[in-house]
Amino acid sequence: MNNDIPVQAIGPQGEVMAHAVDACVHCGFCLPACPTYAVLGDEMDSPRGRIVLMKEVLEGTLTLADAAPHLDRCLGCQGCVTACPSGVPYGELITSFRGWSEPQRERSPLDRAKRAAILKILPAPRVFSLAARVGQYAKPLAPVLPAALRAPLDLLPEHVPAMQPSPTVTPAKGQRRGRVAFLAGCAQQALAPNFNAATLRVLARSGIEVVIPEGQGCCGAAALHTGAREEALRLVRQNLAAFDPDDYDAILSNAAGCGAGLKEYPVVLHGLEDEAQARAFAAKVQDISEFLAGLLRDGELEPFLPTSRPLTVAYHDACHLAHAQGVRAAPRELLRAIPGLTVLEVPEGDLCCGSAGTYNLEQPELANQLGVRKAKNILSITPDLIASGNIGCHTQIQSHVRRQGSRVPVLHTVEVLDLAYRGEL
Amino acid sequence: MTPQKVALSPASPAPKPRSNGSPDNPLAAELTRLLGPKKVLSNLSERRNYRYDAIQFGATPLAVVLPESTADVVTAVRAARAAGVPIVGRGAASGLSGGAAPALPGLVISFTRMTRLDIFPERREVRAQAGVVTLAVTEKARPFGLIYPPDPASFRTSTIGGNLGENAGGPLCFKYGVSGDYVRALEFVDADGEVHELTRDAYDLAGLLIGSEGTLGLITEATLRLTPPPKFTRTLMASFAEVGACAEAVSAAIAAGAVPGKLEFMDHACLNAVEDFLHLGLPREAGALLLVDTDGDDLETVEEERALVEAACLAAGGSVRRAAGDAESAALWQARRSVSPALGRIRPQRMNEDIVVPRSVLPEVVREIRALGDASGFHVVQFGHIGDGNLHPNILFDPRRESPDAVHDLAHRIALVAIRHGGVLSGEHGIGTMKRPFMREAVDPVTLEALWDVKRALDPAGVLNPGKVLPEELADEAHP
Ligand SMILES: Cc1cc2nc3c(=O)[nH]c(=O)nc-3n(C[C@H](O)[C@H](O)[C@H](O)COP(=O)(O)OP(=O)(O)OC[C@H]3O[C@@H](n4cnc5c(N)ncnc54)[C@H](O)[C@@H]3O)c2cc1C
Ligand code: SF4
Ligand code: SF4
Repeated sequence: MNNDIPVQAIGPQGEVMAHAVDACVHCGFCLPACPTYAVLGDEMDSPRGRIVLMKEVLEGTLTLADAAPHLDRCLGCQGCVTACPSGVPYGELITSFRGWSEPQRERSPLDRAKRAAILKILPAPRVFSLAARVGQYAKPLAPVLPAALRAPLDLLPEHVPAMQPSPTVTPAKGQRRGRVAFLAGCAQQALAPNFNAATLRVLARSGIEVVIPEGQGCCGAAALHTGAREEALRLVRQNLAAFDPDDYDAILSNAAGCGAGLKEYPVVLHGLEDEAQARAFAAKVQDISEFLAGLLRDGELEPFLPTSRPLTVAYHDACHLAHAQGVRAAPRELLRAIPGLTVLEVPEGDLCCGSAGTYNLEQPELANQLGVRKAKNILSITPDLIASGNIGCHTQIQSHVRRQGSRVPVLHTVEVLDLAYRGEL
Repeated sequence: MTPQKVALSPASPAPKPRSNGSPDNPLAAELTRLLGPKKVLSNLSERRNYRYDAIQFGATPLAVVLPESTADVVTAVRAARAAGVPIVGRGAASGLSGGAAPALPGLVISFTRMTRLDIFPERREVRAQAGVVTLAVTEKARPFGLIYPPDPASFRTSTIGGNLGENAGGPLCFKYGVSGDYVRALEFVDADGEVHELTRDAYDLAGLLIGSEGTLGLITEATLRLTPPPKFTRTLMASFAEVGACAEAVSAAIAAGAVPGKLEFMDHACLNAVEDFLHLGLPREAGALLLVDTDGDDLETVEEERALVEAACLAAGGSVRRAAGDAESAALWQARRSVSPALGRIRPQRMNEDIVVPRSVLPEVVREIRALGDASGFHVVQFGHIGDGNLHPNILFDPRRESPDAVHDLAHRIALVAIRHGGVLSGEHGIGTMKRPFMREAVDPVTLEALWDVKRALDPAGVLNPGKVLPEELADEAHP
């Protein structure tokens, strides 16, 4: 797309943005892939529309305030990236744009406080756990609370488990085949401690030693995608210092959002002095399913025990796994490797479940519509289990599936693998 | 391309940027009063997004209406008439000739929320509102053992209204025809805001609306014919060292009596752009690829036809691969559908031609276009529904480094190649603003005047999508 973006004035992030705008031929192939377009049916809430809006704000022909409502509705799910034949890096565009525009945003004090609180609480597992438990007690008050406070409460599971600290080193069982570093994650540690426990068990089972390096922090994705660029840079650099890629065969994450965040580090640092370091780091990052599927293909994964009866699992593609990281085959291969388990495809599987990042808190109404749609689609194929590889999808799908009256278990992919190893499926 | 000026001028001047939520011009305010705020877009940020289609940017509309019913369309048309501003119909804006990009500020009516779709399997028909996405028709019909064959490459995005506006076709059109062939009846709203239901009895007025690019009326609903899908389909891919050889194979196969369901080609640059997107393992070194489906209810005939095509390809020096199964043929067809946008990987901007030539001259035409491209210094690529003689030569360029005038000049020379060989300017993408300047070379003055008579009869004040299809000077005469 023709543009007059003043790249010089904006700096390296301007280059990233102008390149993305250039590449878009406004063909509209991305429209059907966009969840907000699916719900709202208007151009400014479509990927193509948003690219035009960002271009015009960058060119100075449209005010940020004018464009913001539509850009804020973007989930960052990157469904549009998968659909785009021209190779437009939409994810890089919106992330860079949010970082560039946030300092210029006019926000109400309440809005500012809410955003600051989210950014403080989400990345700090202990604080999050405490907040979640306080929130649990507040749940009965929900009907009388204002919407801004009700949304986060709706998200909380019925039972918030106690924190389980993870060991720094988990030794391999039997012969050691490899050594990996693991990003322990933030909110997930508080909401679903079993994700990490299962991950450590499954890796150890196949002879992989797992290190959770000291000094690691939040991946920075939440800060980055809400436009808190300085905070994101701080977190990115903290992790670059904590993980030395040369020490490990891989750097693993079991949260799709975090994994995508880690793989994005070279874009965040584009044009800065530590860009090369970020590249070396990102080259080692893998989702847990990619790594395990690699072992499977090499014949190095411990075989699973068969299920006790034939079971079906609906595998939900987390956007940050399927669209942002392009990981689709690996989790399916792993699940199919469990004898007796059949993997079912979800109708409209490419459409986001509505829980991307902090979306539930910022756009509760749209998030809710998408959550209902996703739950209906999943339940339409009547699975025995539901699996996904992301904590955000997990809570969203679980809460909407329950609201529709279903008790189907919702699990992380590695939890399914872990259960298969124990013969508990 | 900048939109052409036309005789009609809008009643209200272009509004100043504003950022609060209230309508910023009288038309938007009146529409909001009549239809409520949810169906009317009046903010600058909203209106800015309704000034383009897949090929060009036009004027920012004064207001956008997102109707949910025919009654909403009637209300919107009447309000625009009262305000004296032009009206542009819009589907998914995937059009490739500038049809949905307004030439003047006015009202855009975008049909994307009119998506009611009722199926009548016993009559093998659907009734679709204008905003129904093309693919949705087949999805709805398939459980009843039926399909809707018109399949433009944009079928996941484009709407029935836009398809009928352009009389869109697709790979299947070689054997099964284009959108217009499937229309049993149309409901449309005329320039005065009156609703009409047209069938194809007596005068084929529905046929007149089809392909008229929103210049004669706004299609609100259509009754479309469905067919059972062929029982068997076989896919074949052939690669050739040179694009002319590919065309020779096509001419020979058809002359030998093959009637494939689909016959598509893409040249070297196209297949490489697609390979960058889909990583299918296409032969990157080939000068051209041919994709063919033979289909029917009798497997023997289907295989015989595939053998005929295969023999023709081998005789023209090609090498042939048969698709192993449904998954492989689906991947190959997705490759073909992605050609056009994948070209964005080569150059950000393109001028897209849509010529049709007699099949007997195909080899000469594709070679002449190849030679024109090579001599011009531009990236000129070719793909299209070659079985129909429908070619899409595209000129890829970077507007910051290459002159739009030179691009236009080259496009003109390519159009003349088609006309010189007895071809026409548009197979399916319409004339829009893109090919309007060439119309007088393609259509004789008497016929053009007849077209203008039709336009004047149905749209006397010239409010429906002005600046499209019919060339400018005659427009000036029509509205002194
Ligand atoms: C990548 C790509 C591939 C394509 N491949 C093909 C192909 O294979 N075959 C093909 O034929 N086309 C193809 N096209 C072109 C385009 O998709 C078709 O012309 C399609 O029919 C446009 O539909 P739309 O809903 O996007 O209409 P729009 O682009 O919104 O509108 C097209 C025209 O129809 C008018 N219009 C829209 N709705 C109405 C209505 N309700 N009543 C009256 N007029 C209306 C508009 O004013 C405009 O003139 C392709 C486009 C792209 C981007
Ligand atoms: S599919 Fe890609 S090129 Fe086409 S409009 Fe969307 S982002 Fe732009
Ligand atoms: S990232 Fe998701 S929500 Fe945002 S424009 Fe792309 S598809 Fe739509």
